[in-house]
Amino acid sequence: MNRRKFLILSGVAVGGVAIPASVFFVSGTIKNYAVLFIERELSYLKLEPGSVAKYVDDRFDGTNNLMDRVKWKAMYYLNVSWKSSDQILELIKYYLLSSDFFINKMDESKMVSYLGLYSPYKSPVPNPFAYTLHPPIEIKNA
Amino acid sequence: MKRDYYDLVVVGTGFASSFFLKKYLSKAKRDQKILVLERGHFYPHEERLKAKRKEHTDYEKYEEPWEKAINNNSPYKKWPFTTGLGGCSNCWWGCTPRFMPSDFKMKTLYGVGEDWPIDYNDLDPYYYEAEELMHVSGPEGTPFPRVGKYPLPAHEFSIVDKILHKTYGNKYISQPTARASRSTVGRNRCMTSSTCDTCPVNAKFTIENSNLGVYEDDRVELVYGAQVYSLELSGDVVKKVHFIQDGKEQSIGGEVIVLGANPFFNSNILQNAGDKNPFVGKGVGEQLGVQVLIYLDNMSNAGGSTWVNANGYMLYDGAHRKDFAACLMEVSNAPYYIRLERGKYLNIASFRLLFEDIPLDNNYVKNTSNKLVPDVFHTKRSDYTLKALENMKKKLPDILSCLPVEKLKFLDPFPNEGHIIGGTRMSKDSASGVVDKHMVHHQYRNLFVLGAGAFTTYSASNPTLTLSAMSLFAADKVF
Repeated sequence: MNRRKFLILSGVAVGGVAIPASVFFVSGTIKNYAVLFIERELSYLKLEPGSVAKYVDDRFDGTNNLMDRVKWKAMYYLNVSWKSSDQILELIKYYLLSSDFFINKMDESKMVSYLGLYSPYKSPVPNPFAYTLHPPIEIKNA
Repeated sequence: MKRDYYDLVVVGTGFASSFFLKKYLSKAKRDQKILVLERGHFYPHEERLKAKRKEHTDYEKYEEPWEKAINNNSPYKKWPFTTGLGGCSNCWWGCTPRFMPSDFKMKTLYGVGEDWPIDYNDLDPYYYEAEELMHVSGPEGTPFPRVGKYPLPAHEFSIVDKILHKTYGNKYISQPTARASRSTVGRNRCMTSSTCDTCPVNAKFTIENSNLGVYEDDRVELVYGAQVYSLELSGDVVKKVHFIQDGKEQSIGGEVIVLGANPFFNSNILQNAGDKNPFVGKGVGEQLGVQVLIYLDNMSNAGGSTWVNANGYMLYDGAHRKDFAACLMEVSNAPYYIRLERGKYLNIASFRLLFEDIPLDNNYVKNTSNKLVPDVFHTKRSDYTLKALENMKKKLPDILSCLPVEKLKFLDPFPNEGHIIGGTRMSKDSASGVVDKHMVHHQYRNLFVLGAGAFTTYSASNPTLTLSAMSLFAADKVF
């Protein structure tokens, strides 16, 4: 662990233990960090303003306990990515699945809009692999 | 009940009972009286969809958690099943490959387990009939003997499927499935939602959407909320069926009795009745399933039109089955395995590998002081199965060498496959099993014990089509 990471971790740990929850709350919520994670990981995409926050609002739905906030804050400042955190991987994966990104055939030049949490029972987003987006004629000679 | 005695008393309304009744009713006289006892209730598909959308439905009270219906003594193992009209047709995923001919002759061909008292040819006409009744979608050209077209066309291949089919021919096929590839009577076309337990678009065959017509037949009286727990035996004859309805003990007499509950409860009923056959409840289990993610180098795996898009048989049959188990590959169209590296989102395939297991005596069902709730013990997997898992890991890179594989990632084995097998195995005599080739109990000759409980060995293939064909076969041959 390098010195910078050590200092951040120490600070976060001390904050988590020593600072009363009411004070720590103002330093950011899980939702704030979740938005930051998505924006950082998908910085090469044009994300519709407010779209990520709406997704995060729906996904976390009131979750905001102190230890989780500390953990998410630490992960963000330690530059943890989806490659080493299943939580972040799921967060970003389901953002893409909940958006029109696959409907737009993964066209990075198009604005990405959130359409509602991914669910075969509710959301309009189809399976990104399937014939509904990639008809047989399109892969005939692939 | 309208009567105190019936020509036929059937327990359960899942695949085994419903297909048995379908054939029985086609042969029975018009004056026959049939009683069907179902422990659960009718919970319509459209109401199940409301529950999935987290909307209110009055029917939710009919959901019976499987964890409360049995005592599961093996924490690493799960046994999900559904009660109510249609049984596990309400939670199955619609995979309907036939067994391979070798699956019925494991002892003769490989010296493993026992041979079934029936073979592939016995079931062949009933496979066709079951496939027609389920409107199965499938390809022409299969690794098991089958002539002609399936009722519905095969599902579409993905890019990976096309390459593997080109390489392996009939050993790699579009999966035969009861998830409709075209809209058909009572069902829509599969939309590849990859969530099949309650199909979002009602594309999967269930007893509810089946149009089998058995529970609408005026000879049939269907009673809900009737939980059968035992039988009254007199000599070698079953006289009555004991059940609880609305908290009250009840009994009903019948000429012929058919147990079509799931294998846990069929075993429990026989044990509570005092059946002394030593094989009752023994050898329960199912296949072992493992997922492998196949990361592809610069190749998208777009396409495919259903949940399990294809089946691979490259590790199924062969001399290796003397030493280790067959493996059936299920090729999943799973949205949640997308990749996150920029530009590589669909450069992945995911295979679920199903390994056959063999019946072991230390995996068993035992009745308890609570006559409604049996103990279920699953203490181990066979070495036969575990060796096959190791072999697969060695062989898979070669098998996939026709693809630009970047890396393989094996996930932990699943805790369940949703296939409950064994407990009332079929055999040529009572010295080696519970029921005969028509699933009639070796001792109690007016008692059928249906379903996957009767499988002599497990096969690597999904059990539902075979157990449905067996019900058609039994009713056709006996009546």
